[in-house]
Amino acid sequence: MIEAGKRDYIIQAHHIFKTFPGVKALSNVSFDLHQSEIHCIVGENGAGKSTFIKILTGSLRPDSGELMVHGKNYKYLTPYLSQTLGIQVIYQENIVVPQMTVAENVFVGREKATRFGLIRYQETIQATQKIIDSLKIHLDPEAPVEKLSPAEQQFVKIVKSLAYEPQVLIMDEPTAMFNVNDVKVVLDLVKDISQRGISVIYISHRLEEISEIADRITVFKDGQIVITHDNPDKNFDLNLLTREMVGRSVETFYKKDKNTIGEVVMEVKNLKLRRHSPTIRFNLRKGEILGIAGLVGSGRTELVRALFGMDRKVSGEVLLRGKPVNIRSPQDSIRAGIGLITEDRHKTGLALNLSVIKNTTIAGLDQYPGGILNLNQEKKDVEHFILDLDIKTPSPHQEVRFLSGGNQQKVVLARWLFKNVDILIFDEPTIGIDVNSKNEIYKLITELAKEGKSIVMVSSELPELIALSDRVLVVKNGRIITELNDQEITEENIISYAFGVTDDGQSKE
Amino acid sequence: MMDNPKSDGHLTTKTTNLPALFKNQSFFLLIVIILLSVIFGSMNPRFLTWGNLLAVFQQITVLGIATMAMALLLISGGIDLSIGSMIGLSSVVICTLIMRGSNVGLAILIGFGIPVICGFINGVIVSKSKCVPLIVTLGMNYVYYGLALVISQGLFLSMKGNFQFLGRGRVFGVPMPMIIVIVMVFATHFLLTYTKYGRRLVAMGGNEQLAYLSGINVDRLKIMNYTLSGAIIGLASLVLVSRLGNVLANAGEGYELRALAAAIIGGVTFEGGRGTIAGTFLGVILLGIVQNGLNILNVSSYFQTLAVGVIIVVAVVVSNLEKIRNR
Repeated sequence: MIEAGKRDYIIQAHHIFKTFPGVKALSNVSFDLHQSEIHCIVGENGAGKSTFIKILTGSLRPDSGELMVHGKNYKYLTPYLSQTLGIQVIYQENIVVPQMTVAENVFVGREKATRFGLIRYQETIQATQKIIDSLKIHLDPEAPVEKLSPAEQQFVKIVKSLAYEPQVLIMDEPTAMFNVNDVKVVLDLVKDISQRGISVIYISHRLEEISEIADRITVFKDGQIVITHDNPDKNFDLNLLTREMVGRSVETFYKKDKNTIGEVVMEVKNLKLRRHSPTIRFNLRKGEILGIAGLVGSGRTELVRALFGMDRKVSGEVLLRGKPVNIRSPQDSIRAGIGLITEDRHKTGLALNLSVIKNTTIAGLDQYPGGILNLNQEKKDVEHFILDLDIKTPSPHQEVRFLSGGNQQKVVLARWLFKNVDILIFDEPTIGIDVNSKNEIYKLITELAKEGKSIVMVSSELPELIALSDRVLVVKNGRIITELNDQEITEENIISYAFGVTDDGQSKE
Repeated sequence: MMDNPKSDGHLTTKTTNLPALFKNQSFFLLIVIILLSVIFGSMNPRFLTWGNLLAVFQQITVLGIATMAMALLLISGGIDLSIGSMIGLSSVVICTLIMRGSNVGLAILIGFGIPVICGFINGVIVSKSKCVPLIVTLGMNYVYYGLALVISQGLFLSMKGNFQFLGRGRVFGVPMPMIIVIVMVFATHFLLTYTKYGRRLVAMGGNEQLAYLSGINVDRLKIMNYTLSGAIIGLASLVLVSRLGNVLANAGEGYELRALAAAIIGGVTFEGGRGTIAGTFLGVILLGIVQNGLNILNVSSYFQTLAVGVIIVVAVVVSNLEKIRNR
């Protein structure tokens, strides 16, 4: 195998290490890519897949290790170098310009033009058409991209990357938003591309499709490569893959004591997360930490938005302590005693230019009587929370942008404690927070539950879900696919439900 | 972010790299104002006389009041470029009513009410259409100016000597406009610093998404704030007609840009959430002193325009020094 492969290695990565503050993103990663193979990468969120891809595309530099591309050694790549070496990436998010046509998008930045800078439209269109024809797909090169379906837009990205005549094509979850038919087309496309001699690195959460197309499968876990499998008969044991993606010792992780769980405080009935998805129902008890697991795009975000009244809800009922409440805006949900700690602290969680005081009291100004604020009283109240939550800030007047991620998150939490809500929804409670502060946040969450607050925690980090949750709901395709209790809350279980290997006997997509 | 929580302490020193002078824009402005006064005074002693300083204050009253409205809007993340036309429209209506023999009190009341309504309309369009307020109010600027032209037919209109107290009266020897502007500065400062309403404005300007997710009815707050600013503009307009005695449709021309400039010089930012009323008022005073000082030194008005432009750009750059450094 090695002798046969030696001449056709396109990329070889040796002992790559990469550390971010507080996180070992990659450690001792060695990976190789053959000519015209489809090499799939699987792993949980945060396993190091994206970091590794970023090293191949030159947007990150490894701390140590070596890259060999076409037999030449590099300490690191730059985005420009990576492109010249024939490496192209198709990202999940949209990078097309919606107002421009397919052909214009394909050649954006490298327009076919006369020497006076005038664009040769016919030539652009013909060149685009040629690539489209070679892929045997239907796409009008003159159609504006915004008029195309998401699947067709994905094709535009593929056509665009092929226009660079790459030798390596990296695809990051190209089928994430597709229905079954479109997935089939994309998979066929990928096979076709590899048969032309292009090597493909394919990242996906859909294990079935990986089993179908992969020549080799590499499993990432905690920044390391667990194993690389050959997949000659295109029918891999998905349960084995799932086990390999997990297998972490959860013991080293934060351990919480069991707390007493009281009566039901919130009941959600007949809630539709999307127009065409089935209704869901669940309840939340006093003192309970309810974990919500699911992949990106599973409906987790919609669930949070619906509970907090951020979208006009499609349908559904929420009962708080048995009484129906009508939640149509964040204002309604806050009044009902619900607080949300958003996923994006900087965009939606904080006003970065404002002080710790102003960020803390903004949701709860109505605690104070009348229209005029007693600034001394306010400062005293906030100082109380600074002490209680151990927020490290030189002064309550400090602008929050100067605080560390963990302390910023505590300010957001202080806001809802000041407002004295009963139900707290955490969306990715420890995103962008270093390890030490994470543990502090976990401790705070557990203490809050002990004090009788009810907590909904959406998280991509399975260890934290497992360590903290009393119960876990797994969300997939806009519905709750299963509820896990006590001993059932394991990484294996969550992953197999979230990835859809175990589908609870219900219809497959 | 940070590995070691202890290291948080040194983060604060980051800002103290800059001289304290630059850190606090209001303080910086105050120094500049004093320096300029000394320079103007040494070149022409007449500048530093009590009479002249009163005159400076007189000249900036309307701008000072209008700038309070602009600051409230900017700090909350909005802007209103139609305030000049609102002043013009209101003045024209007052004079027209008086010239047609209407009751003076009623005319004044209606004249005050018109900018309130204009502000309300601006607020509704801005909040409900989710369009950029800069563009919406730029359009409304033409609408209100057009209305003022239609009503006045482009003619000079007169107050016929009525209602002079607000613009020309004195209380214990202090000119009325000066009293009004000082009261307005304190009132606006109080509103912004010590009331829930003001705090919510600041939060909305700092991060509108956050304000929304904190249970603030963002649309309603915007409409209220535009309406309130309209009322302040109504007051500015009354002071103006009262002082001038006769007006054209373009009576308020340019106030929107000068108010914007004064607020920005005072440390208010375009992005919202930042700035103080004290700084804003110092911005107004600086503009007034430069204009008056250059007048006294017999500098041509062409150069004055040039000077004002330079001041605005320097002020904006100075207030952005920290950002440039931290990049």
